[in-house]
Amino acid sequence: MAHLIKVRPTKIELVKLKRRLKLSQRVQKIVKDRLSILTMEFLQAARETVTAKKRTMAAMTDAYKAMTVASGYHGYVALQKELIACEADISVTAGPRSVAGIRLPSLELNEPTGGLRGYNLTQTSSLVDSASDTSREALRAIIELAELQRGLELLGAEINRTKRITNALEYILIPNLQVTIRFLSMKFEERDREEKARLKRVKVLLARKES
Amino acid sequence: MQAHPAHEPAESGYDRLLQGWLSGEMRLVNSGLPRERRRLSELLGEEQPSVGCSDGSHQLFKRTELRFLSDILDENERESLLLPIIIEMVGDGTEAIVLCPSDVELKVISFVLGMHLTYETPGRVRVYKPQLALLRKKLRTTTQYAFSARTVD
Repeated sequence: MAHLIKVRPTKIELVKLKRRLKLSQRVQKIVKDRLSILTMEFLQAARETVTAKKRTMAAMTDAYKAMTVASGYHGYVALQKELIACEADISVTAGPRSVAGIRLPSLELNEPTGGLRGYNLTQTSSLVDSASDTSREALRAIIELAELQRGLELLGAEINRTKRITNALEYILIPNLQVTIRFLSMKFEERDREEKARLKRVKVLLARKES
Repeated sequence: MQAHPAHEPAESGYDRLLQGWLSGEMRLVNSGLPRERRRLSELLGEEQPSVGCSDGSHQLFKRTELRFLSDILDENERESLLLPIIIEMVGDGTEAIVLCPSDVELKVISFVLGMHLTYETPGRVRVYKPQLALLRKKLRTTTQYAFSARTVD
């Protein structure tokens, strides 16, 4: 329920309140636009996260399957011996991206340069190549999922904050201002009417006196 | 009624607070706007393609997006495409204007949306919310929202 704001009942205050109401409505418009964008981005991120999760699960399954087949063909120890030499750090380009004022993470797996796999191609089968490819695909999917999930969390938190601001403006600040403006306007109208009635009364008294 | 000293205008601090809030929100929503837009051809050659933002931070461009843009454009168009593409919010948030200083931006948007688009006014293309979602999905880091004073009028 809207409450009256405690102000002096003067015309200057009324002008100030009207100006403040206009300003509040401008703020509300911006915040609402932002909320609309954030919600759209959130829903999109949620949809993409579901897809990315499915893709990650599928990629992981494929990678494990390919690795199992390769280790079955070559033997676990022989495969481990072959692959231990080609271990390399994962290189990820990370940076921020801005969406309507929030900084979301942007992650991208750097592709290895040169196209060399690191293990001996003559002593391994294409099964190892397939396992390597599917593992990289799984890694790419994990990184994409990480980016989307963190983005989703940040967007959700920001939507909550923005919603609180919108609600405060919509249900408290603006109604309070409107009620106070209406109250002051009515008060001034009433004063005008009283003034007119007083003047009429004075006029009648003067006329009676003269007669 | 609350009495205020005669020398102090009533609730002036409150007005200042609101004004500060408005400008703060405007600054916040536009903090990701680029200080300068950069050519696609330049960005393609960089190891970490990025652009400086108005709040002093950097926005990273995804190489996959840059490669996608590079694939749909020829050499001259790559030279003239400036990134990020600016999307200006208008109306009640259900539509937006994509700022297209050259025809290349229009070509990119038309390609991404899979439909023929035309300028509403010179250099400005109107897109609707579902199209905006599609555009943002494909070009997540190479597009940027802008909220202008026109938005709030």
